[in-house]
Amino acid sequence: MTTDAVTTEEQSVDAAAGTMAPSRAAALWSAIDRFLNHAGDWLNPILVKETRQALKSSQFTITFVLVLAASWVVTVGVVAAIGPRIFYSAEGGTLLAWYYAVLAFPLLVVVPLSAFRSLTAEREDNTYDLLSITTLKPWQIISGKLGSSMAQMAVYFSVMTPCLAFTYLLRGVDVPTIAILLLYTFFWSLGLSMVGILLATLTTQRFAQVFILVGFVSWLLFMFYCGVMWGYGTAYYGRSMLGGVGSGFWIVLGVIATSYATFFALAFFAAAGMITFTSENRSTPLRACMVVQQAAFVGWMAAVWISGNFRLEFVLVMIIFAGLYWYVMGTLLTAERPGLSQRVRRRLPQSFFGRMFLSWFNPGPNSGYMFVIANTTLIVVLGMFAIAFGEITSGGGRGGNPTVEEVVDTMVIGWGYIVGYLGIGLLIISALRRIAKVTMLAAVLIHLLLLLAGFGIPYAVKSMSIELREADYSFLQITDPIFSIRHIFDGGVRGDANVLLILIPGVATCVLLLNMPQIIRELRVVREAAPTRVLQDEAELHPPPEAGPQNPWDEPA
Amino acid sequence: MIRTTSPQIELSHLHRVFDQAHAVNDVSFEVYAGEVFGYIGPNGAGKTTSMRILATLDEPTAGDAYIDGFSVVDDPDRVRRRLGFMPDYFGTYQNVNVYEYLDFFARAYGLAGQERLRAIGEVMEFTLLDSLAHKPIDGLSKGMKQRLCLGRTMIHNPSVLILDEPAAGLDPRARIELREMIERLAEAGKAILISSHILTELAEIADRVAIIEQGRLLAVGSVAEISAGVQSRSTARVRVLRDADRLRQWLAARDDIFDLNITGELAVFTHAGGRESEARLLRELIEAGFSVIEFGAQHKSLEDVFLHVTEGRVQ
Ligand SMILES: Nc1ncnc2c1ncn2[C@@H]1O[C@H](COP(=O)(O)OP(=O)(O)OP(=O)(O)O)[C@@H](O)[C@H]1O
Ligand SMILES: [Mg+2]
Repeated sequence: MTTDAVTTEEQSVDAAAGTMAPSRAAALWSAIDRFLNHAGDWLNPILVKETRQALKSSQFTITFVLVLAASWVVTVGVVAAIGPRIFYSAEGGTLLAWYYAVLAFPLLVVVPLSAFRSLTAEREDNTYDLLSITTLKPWQIISGKLGSSMAQMAVYFSVMTPCLAFTYLLRGVDVPTIAILLLYTFFWSLGLSMVGILLATLTTQRFAQVFILVGFVSWLLFMFYCGVMWGYGTAYYGRSMLGGVGSGFWIVLGVIATSYATFFALAFFAAAGMITFTSENRSTPLRACMVVQQAAFVGWMAAVWISGNFRLEFVLVMIIFAGLYWYVMGTLLTAERPGLSQRVRRRLPQSFFGRMFLSWFNPGPNSGYMFVIANTTLIVVLGMFAIAFGEITSGGGRGGNPTVEEVVDTMVIGWGYIVGYLGIGLLIISALRRIAKVTMLAAVLIHLLLLLAGFGIPYAVKSMSIELREADYSFLQITDPIFSIRHIFDGGVRGDANVLLILIPGVATCVLLLNMPQIIRELRVVREAAPTRVLQDEAELHPPPEAGPQNPWDEPA
Repeated sequence: MIRTTSPQIELSHLHRVFDQAHAVNDVSFEVYAGEVFGYIGPNGAGKTTSMRILATLDEPTAGDAYIDGFSVVDDPDRVRRRLGFMPDYFGTYQNVNVYEYLDFFARAYGLAGQERLRAIGEVMEFTLLDSLAHKPIDGLSKGMKQRLCLGRTMIHNPSVLILDEPAAGLDPRARIELREMIERLAEAGKAILISSHILTELAEIADRVAIIEQGRLLAVGSVAEISAGVQSRSTARVRVLRDADRLRQWLAARDDIFDLNITGELAVFTHAGGRESEARLLRELIEAGFSVIEFGAQHKSLEDVFLHVTEGRVQ
């Protein structure tokens, strides 16, 4: 019986690889080509071109045939291994796990890698310049590359669909499991492709690109390994992924979905910003993204906090993550190029409220610093409200760990550290900018070195001095954020905490004041009128709507 | 010439400094619609650098440039709609044929439907690529590639064309074809900036030229103007019978004569003042009683002009 199954499979393999397939494939290819030529006006030009290239490229055909062959091998192999049990035992899971491994390689390795390569290859083949002087917008270039990743994914999915249907017929897996597996993998692959594209925009230097390529490939292989393990687990044990899910499942799914969407948007705008000309405003969309991301994060944390009986731990988790997030974003925002181009100045907010609330979104390192301070302050205020609310609902009589005092202290001190470190870094960067050109990477490194010095110097002093080595905490370590905050939680002497509470925000405020002159200079820049030539062109491109008849009785002019 | 329109290309005190080199140093000139403007300089003069700035691929360190009145720094998107740039290399895609290549760039410039088909058709006809439509671009010869490049550059019907050494590597016949194409484009009212190493190559088609060397503009004007500037000086020879000593004194006393060099009866010197004044010089020599048996003034060729203007500093 088994042997029979094998021969049928082999025959079909032979038939497909035989004479019939190429002619049919050729007919399909030319049909696609005709479609691209005539119906594809609304398609992204890059997608059209790359689909055409893929149809003719041997690399694509080889991967395609390999995936087909691998799925046949898996089918034959697994069916042979199962043997006659195939008729009475539910073996769909085994087969699904194998098929998934076959699918995961192209999706989690090949597709993201070719997204990375397709952008770096444009630079190597000198076509990048030609592309970038067309009227394609940077976001169109990025979405075109993403689109062709999706087209490739679609092909791999369609190869595997019959196989996956087969696993269902074997029983042991249900449709939701298969669907969720595929859906997650689609988004996973898309996200990895986005990362690949972002990495490709980071540098134009050949050496750095090779470096990034090696790192990226290793990471993708690790992702592939994770994917296979996850697919194996899901196929075997997640018999019904939707059965008996509680509210926890939906919260987790919501958190994953929003963080995926917001990080994806962030990567998208960052990649588009990297390939936009420098006089364009590349910062505001990213900052808007960050605010949305923070709002989503706070929202989900609030949901968890409410469903978790307003426990303080959740507030603590929220402020720690938000703090880390804004520190990292702050290092990037304060590394922005100083000076506003004429182009940016033409669109600065003008009204009183616009200037008051939207100036934080203007590009520039100093407004970036203020943007981070505004957001961290907002987080502290929200945290305070949450604590107060929790105290009221629980009648204030809740002891335990962490205490209200500890969380409040952490918020205030954490705020001080973020404002202080970013501010000192910004002062150093601005000073250096007077004598030399400081690139974004160099500026981020300066922040990093500063932080390392904050950790490292007290540590070195402490380990060299005999008296201090034994001591638990001393004010020498005040520059070390982690040690200092831990000290508060160690139930450290209240007196110590009070000193920290005054000293750190105090120093931070001084740093902020030192930065004030340049912040004010940057924020005082006002809108400039666009040149008349630009206004003329704008009027030609978007003529004001003609005054049509206002009501049915109006005579047309 | 009196211009009624504003310039299509305008460079205004353009500077570009690289780590090592001041590649473009205070360059200003203007190009008008319907004009072919030659941009001439030796290797490393800064031609490509300034053209890349005009094409919005690079940014000036100081100064600005305008295409049809739009700044390349602040309005690159508007500049790109009006400008076709043909770099000195060919950007190739794998597995793409001539038609698909043009189709891609037509789409990238936002042409759709019938408009796109018409633009591709016109460009293929103009650049004589009709018969090659389905040929893969990897397999094109240098001349065909150059025509395809030109076709890509004009696919969106730009009003300004910037061509970086379009004639490099072409055979004489292909050069003539290229020249005809450029002339037709200029007749159609486009402003065209062409770079080259060789002044003679552009002398026939360029209405005006700019000569650049080590990032600095040395001369701007029509080829005739520039060579007139140089040709007002000629290398003159005078041979007289007997009076060599008197000739030396007589010539040395004049202020339009330099680099005087007398060997025997032959005087060789540089004379400033142009042809009319050469004739006057001869008349005065005879009136002064010299028995002139040879008089000659040699003017410079275009190549000499170029070498003279760049003072032989060609790298
Ligand atoms: N990306 C760059 N980085 C550093 N220096 C550069 C760069 N591009 C050009 N240069 C320098 O700028 C100067 C001008 O170069 P450019 O390519 O503009 O000359 P060119 O006139 O086009 O020469 P050619 O006739 O050889 O093409 C050269 O000294 C060159 O070394
Ligand atoms: Mg050059």
